[in-house]
Amino acid sequence: MVEKKVSMRSQDPNQRRVLDSATRQRRLTRQLEALEKDNFQDDPHASLPQLAKRLPQFDESNEPNEQGKRRKKTRGDHFKLRFRKNFQALLEEEDLSVSEGPNYLTACAEPSKFPQRHFCAVCGFPSHYTCVSCGARYCCVRCLGTHHETRCLKWTV
Amino acid sequence: MSALVLDNGAYSAKIGYARDGVSIIPNCQFRSKTSRLKTFTANQLDEIKDPSGLFYILPFQKGYLVNWDVQRKVWDHLFGKEMFKVDFADTSIVITEPYFNFSSIQESMNEILFEEYQFQAALRINAGSLSAHRYFHENSSELCCIVVDSGFSFTHIVPYCRGRKMKDGICRINVGGKLLTNHLKEIISYRQLHVMDETHVINQVKEDVCYVSQDFFKDVETAQLKGEENTVMRDYVLPDFSAIKKGFCKPREEMNFTGKYKTSEQILRLNNERFAVPEMLFHPSDIGIQEMGIPEALVNSIKNMPEEMQPHFFKNIVLTGGNALFPGFRERVYHEVRALTPTEFQVSVILPQNPICYPWEGGKLLSENPDFEEMVVTREDYEENGHFICEEKFDI
Repeated sequence: MVEKKVSMRSQDPNQRRVLDSATRQRRLTRQLEALEKDNFQDDPHASLPQLAKRLPQFDESNEPNEQGKRRKKTRGDHFKLRFRKNFQALLEEEDLSVSEGPNYLTACAEPSKFPQRHFCAVCGFPSHYTCVSCGARYCCVRCLGTHHETRCLKWTV
Repeated sequence: MSALVLDNGAYSAKIGYARDGVSIIPNCQFRSKTSRLKTFTANQLDEIKDPSGLFYILPFQKGYLVNWDVQRKVWDHLFGKEMFKVDFADTSIVITEPYFNFSSIQESMNEILFEEYQFQAALRINAGSLSAHRYFHENSSELCCIVVDSGFSFTHIVPYCRGRKMKDGICRINVGGKLLTNHLKEIISYRQLHVMDETHVINQVKEDVCYVSQDFFKDVETAQLKGEENTVMRDYVLPDFSAIKKGFCKPREEMNFTGKYKTSEQILRLNNERFAVPEMLFHPSDIGIQEMGIPEALVNSIKNMPEEMQPHFFKNIVLTGGNALFPGFRERVYHEVRALTPTEFQVSVILPQNPICYPWEGGKLLSENPDFEEMVVTREDYEENGHFICEEKFDI
């Protein structure tokens, strides 16, 4: 978490820290972004030494059609240069805000006309109460306790 | 000349020659904790004995093809001698792309198909267009249909009139199978057992126990009951990949409501998660995604169509994609659309027998169509005219 923490001692001890709406929105965005991730663990190969790079490659010069191989290699580099872009870069490159007609941005579903339903952040059942500090929902004192101990003002995933 | 149909999904590729059947193959690479030196490609997944903590390398990001290195490795494997043994000079390929695919991705696609693999001819098309083709083929008297394609990355709602897609009606909901699995992983990890690294296992849990509720708040009440009366609760036995190769749901008779089992099996207790997870498709706002759910978006999309077409769309709603396999999905879409639509309209929601392979079947039919030759771009065409001819002929 990169949020700036206000020193607890400089505050009135009875005053609980309350997140403003911008911070709450940021936290929500971060949660939703986490749901887009492919993996949460590290690549199991990340810690391996790159064997292939260190060992000398003896077989390369013996390759019968060296020319064909070289051609393929340059193609690969060419692809890397031109096409290694992530989604965000591609989206910006398209510059859809100025283009006419339906496009990726306009096709996104509008906000629902139905009121939002609320569920307890701890147990998932319908909730009637909101945590004063962080805005998370809870349904009973027990869940509020769990929430304070685990997630409230800390973050998660 | 043979035709290869490839519905190139962000999670699984549906591939096969038009004359044969279809295979569903993971469109990604994997790394496993146990075999530390190998990267597994596509269906080599089956070779991994212990797929716990499986690491995914996906070529797609938010439904769009961005990692060509991975995609080419998967395709090399699929087209190569281990699988489809493609004779490129004598093969036309029908390949799918997402709606509003970015133009640079389209150009890379052309280059790779024609220059790298050297296919004799290619047809690039939206998966939904193939579904619509399949639908009109079987229901030739219908004029319009609206395809709901709920896949791994997102859900698209696309109206088609006489085989033509109505671009103004296209609607995307940013909820797909990946988000559902990740959300399930997140709530299970918070409530009972840390499973954030177990995408593969939890995806199986999702497929095995999740369902679409017909009456959400009634199911909520049932899930709050204790013991025997709680008919929603299930105990899921997790695989340990030695004695138990695949997870399964404990039969209701064997369930122990105290949750204490004498056996050493690892159990996940699933209660409101079972229906709250697929509920995201119907109420994305439940987790803070401010977008319409599928039924509301369907009705909204149809309302944007010319008035005389609207009744035709309401009675030809076609559900495709993996999420359509949730039990109760069709019934729920029907009931909600029915409730949001004036009574004089007839509403009919169709769930094909195989909603995942429906577009592939459409591609197969299209390749057998006498007009198919007119629709493709051949390698000679491409070499002569470049991207321009593809842009003109393909409607992405």
